[in-house]
Amino acid sequence: MADLVLDRLTIAYGDVNAVDDISLTVPSGEFLTLLGPSGCGKSTTLFAISGLNEATSGTIRIGDKVFFDGAKGIAVPPEARNIGLVFQSYALWPHKTVAQNLSFPLELRKVGRAERDSRIKEALDLVEMGKYAERYPFELSGGQQQRVALARALVYRPRLLLLDEPLSNLDAKLRERARIWLRELQERLNVTTIYVTHDQSEALAVSDRIAVMSMGKIQQLGTPTDIYERPANAFVADFIGSANFIEAELVGRSAGQAQLRLGDGTQLVASSCPEAVSGKLVLAIRPERIELTDAPGANVLGARITHSSYLGSVHEHEMAGQGFRLRVQTSRAVSSPEVLVRIPPEAIMIFQNGPEAL
Amino acid sequence: MDAALERTGFDRSRLIFWSVAALTTLLVIGPIAPIAMQAFLNKPLYDASAALTAANFGRLVTEAGIGEIALNTVIFAVLSTIFAQVFGALAAVVIGRTNLPGRGWLGEVLVWPLFVSHLVIAFGWLTMYGPSGYVTLAVRSWTGVTPWDLYSLSGMGVVAGLSQAPLAYLMCLGAVSKADAQLEAAARSVGAGPFRALWSVTVPMMRPALIYSTVLNFVVAIEMLSIPLLFGAPNKIETITSFLYDKGINAAVQPDYGIVGAAALILLAIVAFLVWLQGRLMVGSNRFVTVRGKASRPALLDLGRWRWIVFAAVFAYVFFTIVLVFAGTLMRASVSFLTPLVPFWTLLTTKNFDLILQTPNYMRSIGNSVLISLIGGVIGTVLVAIITLVSRRSEFKGARPLEYIALFPRSLPGIIAGLGFFYAVIWVPGLDAIRGTIWILILAFMVRYIPVGFGTIAPALAQIGDELDRGARISGADWWTTVTRIIAPLLKPALFSTFALLFIHFFKEYVTAVFLFQPGSEIIGTTMLQLWAQGDNGPVSALATIQVVITAIFVLVARRVLGAKIYG
Repeated sequence: MADLVLDRLTIAYGDVNAVDDISLTVPSGEFLTLLGPSGCGKSTTLFAISGLNEATSGTIRIGDKVFFDGAKGIAVPPEARNIGLVFQSYALWPHKTVAQNLSFPLELRKVGRAERDSRIKEALDLVEMGKYAERYPFELSGGQQQRVALARALVYRPRLLLLDEPLSNLDAKLRERARIWLRELQERLNVTTIYVTHDQSEALAVSDRIAVMSMGKIQQLGTPTDIYERPANAFVADFIGSANFIEAELVGRSAGQAQLRLGDGTQLVASSCPEAVSGKLVLAIRPERIELTDAPGANVLGARITHSSYLGSVHEHEMAGQGFRLRVQTSRAVSSPEVLVRIPPEAIMIFQNGPEAL
Repeated sequence: MDAALERTGFDRSRLIFWSVAALTTLLVIGPIAPIAMQAFLNKPLYDASAALTAANFGRLVTEAGIGEIALNTVIFAVLSTIFAQVFGALAAVVIGRTNLPGRGWLGEVLVWPLFVSHLVIAFGWLTMYGPSGYVTLAVRSWTGVTPWDLYSLSGMGVVAGLSQAPLAYLMCLGAVSKADAQLEAAARSVGAGPFRALWSVTVPMMRPALIYSTVLNFVVAIEMLSIPLLFGAPNKIETITSFLYDKGINAAVQPDYGIVGAAALILLAIVAFLVWLQGRLMVGSNRFVTVRGKASRPALLDLGRWRWIVFAAVFAYVFFTIVLVFAGTLMRASVSFLTPLVPFWTLLTTKNFDLILQTPNYMRSIGNSVLISLIGGVIGTVLVAIITLVSRRSEFKGARPLEYIALFPRSLPGIIAGLGFFYAVIWVPGLDAIRGTIWILILAFMVRYIPVGFGTIAPALAQIGDELDRGARISGADWWTTVTRIIAPLLKPALFSTFALLFIHFFKEYVTAVFLFQPGSEIIGTTMLQLWAQGDNGPVSALATIQVVITAIFVLVARRVLGAKIYG
């Protein structure tokens, strides 16, 4: 197997670039997730790789096999790319049984009957659907259809597996089980996989690497840990998990630390700060990292709780302070509305611009 | 394993795209180009010495009586459109949304006129309500006065309007019965009574259907030949189609090709403009589309004590304008002489049917009609299915233009299509081979009804999610394999319905054939016109009855065996 390479890929609809100059290399066997809000270009990218959307410019290739090259006018039709694709709606052909659904791609590849039967059985067993070979799609539950769709995409041993929000039609409990199962299957087969989702917890749970996309561009490409703990910009910080944003000013640096001043003059210390930033800044702090405290001190702010919600595992509080608002999560209920909160220096992420600037 | 997918060089899908686009364009331009040519030539198209001229139009507008013909056409079209729309819309609301007794079968009978040609209906009206019609004479013998005169513009308007009302009915019925029940429920919840809710919420949603069918019926009236011919001729009331028919065919010595070409081109332009207007009026009609998500049927309105009064009105309408018209045809066919003064069972005879059954020409016209409808229906369904698939479900760059061309025949009146193909076969070398055969009729009919087939297949295709074809493509199937292995099987019910609809349209078509048939390729409609010209109303009615019976058998079989959906 070879690496999938997207080079300067652009997909334009009229004047709008749905995908804007993306470059990406996916090593063989990797599970890569394209993550972003709807309209960010993730599905468009996926369908361009499959050949079902035509790109505008750039190249798509696996190893030295070129699928698309805008400059040379090469566009291999989808049927000649040998890629497996699982659709959001599964797209099982309703007039064919499960076995016939799997048989069709094999017939197109001129696979003999005996070989076909053993392949179909193998693929259905892989997704634990062996018993359902003679059923029609409408006789299956959503989860079963999803497995059959996966088996159909794998039965011809494609060089690449593409998954377009395959779990989004399942209910929450099933979705969590399915994603673990999906990841185990992918590791077992070691097939290069591109996974599209807008569900960040799904992305964090299954991926080797995640490409966070917005407005047709890749905002950050990295491991789940990178993306969550070291977001490249405020958009990523906001989209993955959630974050409080506070405007501040950089007043000084010393020994790797940064001194910051809020609008009302309160001083904060952050334990790390990017080199490139200066002047007016935006601080991002995750709600679960903020602590309630009894005593005033460094990085402690006074605030008043305006609303509390009980979420089961945690309590979440909306708070207002002097010129800022915060969302804070605590494990226990808070009795008094007037509180002191401590923002640990290592919990402060510093960006030049807020999420809306992107 | 990849190797089987590697295809280099020849791309059959692309070949299909281009062939279908070329064929469709050729078929549609086929009848139009010669007409446009003829309109600007001073001699017949086939005459090598013909020269370009604009004089035809001058001669047309100065032709004696041309102003009256134009006026007649407009009055006739306006009148018939009004009658069609008023009765159609009323029937749709009453049958679609109230607890009218017998609404099921009344609704069925209401669409009968759509299954047969205007020619059959016109003869039926003539037999019952014409100046010496059965009902007319009966009323006169009771009251002493002649109650109506169908040989007038208003009489023609009523007959044409009532025969087109089913079309308005069907379209409005779709709008009122598919309307989201929650919208009316919402009106009820804010305090509207049931009638108010219907009137203020649902009836306005009929607007797109009303606008669409109004223009459609107006176009049908302008291009209608049977009623102007049968009802207008006795009092010399001419419309544009009867003028074209007369000039083009009946002019005994030498048909005036130049004037006919000019008039045909003008008619074509007017109808094309109306169809364009229809499209413009429909822009933004999406705001009336409410059918999405879970559909719940709106509740039926309780008419209360009006129930039987409304029933009587609807029943009278159905009985007098539909049942009696069909019954009249059958009665006239079964007697030697139809008059209310003598009980008709004393005049029963089989001689009308005998004449038809024993004359080879007449029998051949029945055989030809069936053959044309069967062959044309099958070829037409395949052709239209491929056109629809290429224009709606392929990566063909010319998909949109192809759809536009395929739908253009909506603007092509039957008489123009017939005239155009008539010119084409004498003009284009090689086409002489099919001149006077049923194949030229099949070709001409097919062109006319491409839009009808398209309109049946396209909505069914839209119901098949495009990820099903995408799934096939990514699995390794090219476009044609996807179409034959995945889409066609799923489309089967719609294809059967399309075949049934095309069969019915081909079977009742006659206008397109009047310039194209020759001895040997006559069809039921043209034979009826010939018999009518000879004044033989008995055999005409026998032929009409045979046409109705064959249609009825076909509709029953198509619904039962093929599961075809024809008119709701």
